[in-house]
Amino acid sequence: MKRFQVVILLCAAASCLALFLCQESHAQDLASLGAAIPRRVAGFASEGPDATYDRKTIFDYIDGGAEVYLAYDMRGCLSRRYAASGEPAVVLDLFDMGTPPEAFGVFTLDRDGEPLEVGEDGLSREGWIRFWKGRFFVSIYAERETAGAREAALRLARAIEAGIKEKGERPKILGRLPQRGLQKQSIRYLHSHILLETHVRLSDENILGLGPDTEVVLASYVREGKRARLLLVSYPDAARAAAARKRYLSLRMAGGASKQGIAAKGGKEWLSAQAGRFLAIVLDADSRPLAESLLKEAETLP
Amino acid sequence: MERNRQDREGTRRKEVHTVGSRGSGISRRDFLKTGARIAVGGVAGLSLAGSSHGEAGRKSRVVLVRNRGVIDAQDRIRPAALGEMLDGAVAALLDERDPASAWKRIASPGDVVGIKTNVWHYLPTPEPLNEILKERLIGAGVARENVSADDRGVLANPVFRRSTALVNVRPMRTHYWAGLGSLIKNYIMFVPRPSDYHDNACEPLGAIWNLPHVKGKTRLNVLVMITPLFHGTGPHHYSPQYLWPYCGLIVSKDPVAADATGARIIEAKRRAYFGEDRPISPNPRHIVVAGSRYGLGRSRPEEIEIVRLGWNEDSLV
Repeated sequence: MKRFQVVILLCAAASCLALFLCQESHAQDLASLGAAIPRRVAGFASEGPDATYDRKTIFDYIDGGAEVYLAYDMRGCLSRRYAASGEPAVVLDLFDMGTPPEAFGVFTLDRDGEPLEVGEDGLSREGWIRFWKGRFFVSIYAERETAGAREAALRLARAIEAGIKEKGERPKILGRLPQRGLQKQSIRYLHSHILLETHVRLSDENILGLGPDTEVVLASYVREGKRARLLLVSYPDAARAAAARKRYLSLRMAGGASKQGIAAKGGKEWLSAQAGRFLAIVLDADSRPLAESLLKEAETLP
Repeated sequence: MERNRQDREGTRRKEVHTVGSRGSGISRRDFLKTGARIAVGGVAGLSLAGSSHGEAGRKSRVVLVRNRGVIDAQDRIRPAALGEMLDGAVAALLDERDPASAWKRIASPGDVVGIKTNVWHYLPTPEPLNEILKERLIGAGVARENVSADDRGVLANPVFRRSTALVNVRPMRTHYWAGLGSLIKNYIMFVPRPSDYHDNACEPLGAIWNLPHVKGKTRLNVLVMITPLFHGTGPHHYSPQYLWPYCGLIVSKDPVAADATGARIIEAKRRAYFGEDRPISPNPRHIVVAGSRYGLGRSRPEEIEIVRLGWNEDSLV
């Protein structure tokens, strides 16, 4: 009995050590990446030491947005300000999101902007450059856009891109999205119903039962001039997917939808289907055939 | 960005003809003379349909005071104009002709008053407003050492710890997780673990107002709408292009009514700016829930009486 207890204790200690080393490794990687990023760039120089935040202290830095990053499993954040005489501050925020899918996900929260050849899916808009690469999400924000600030932000972006050695994969669930007519810039990947509400308002309640163990992908389609959006959710098991669809249909029927979950809302079709642990909902489809095609191609309708 | 800049420049151009020689635009007397009481109606979106609280047939009064001379061309606050706005609003709120009498109904010499302000880096409560509030409370007889303005340190602040009254003052802004940074939300620093109140887009925030060290203490709510933020981007949910010079304050005893009115203005601004319905996301449900579940006030438009003072152009409500 005593030997058994010792084995249990040793296992627990080993687990703690592994967890500690894993977190330590993430912290070191963020710090080492920070060390590789130039402190002087295009006439700008970094101000003071870098600030670093973890899952608890991030609230001190991002008032109002910390939960967004935590919903994507953020592990750490490094922040650095650059200043130059007569120029606005340029703020670098480097997020370690734990895995590439989480980095991709937080990137997709806001996809407005012009494409920029930097990192994965680089975007630029009014003084704000962002991209993801590996498990990192990178944001470089000029408090006011000037030619000098833009030049500094661009050079920083390129230096960071070069400093990130890993190249991560996108979430696997994206592979289930039908390809024809897919508007790639519209793809959003998330877990939280609050973040889903940023893009689609279904209910004030979490009727789809979303959480850290669910994956959600939302995408827009245009086919022969007709439009629709597809929401695809992956649950840990089929029972949860079925329960979520049942709640969703109850809500739609209360709002006047038919038993099949089809409702004409402003002349648009809404249609849903569940197959195994996947639930698909087509929103705002211009036609029923388009909605049905998307459900079939997403392998949720026979 | 360009459209908003044009809005702002357009406003400033008009100021040349309207700002008075004292730089404050409209005097306190003007406020009281031109004030009109109008019940809000028709602007509420579905998400802000609202909650009812208290006696049937009663309305919560909200004073909307605006003065486009409250900021200069560099968006700096003109304290004199701001003071006149606040005095006019408090007097109208309490049906007093004389602001000094009104302030004496907000606080009395025996009170210890915490001014719950907001220090968010990008859009804090304007420091001149904190100072004006302090001055008015001291003018009402509160001892100087018994007034303090604080945000993140309220739990440790000795004045707040022995406070008998609170004044709640903050700018309205959109917010990634709560939908809006509101008066209701401003009390989140009264709990040691704010994240405990973040569930479902911060829906349970109203519960904080019923905690023993907060309950029943709030004498005045001032929602700062001078340059509100109607949309956000980036990690910090901020871009100056989404500020606009609304030049207003919303003042009420009822925080739910004040927030609901501010929310309708923000929604209307989003509709005007984006040219389509762009509901505040996530839905700032904590405002309605603060009324319906926690009994903190009224959010239905038909249960809110708006008293308008000053500049009325593009009021959006």
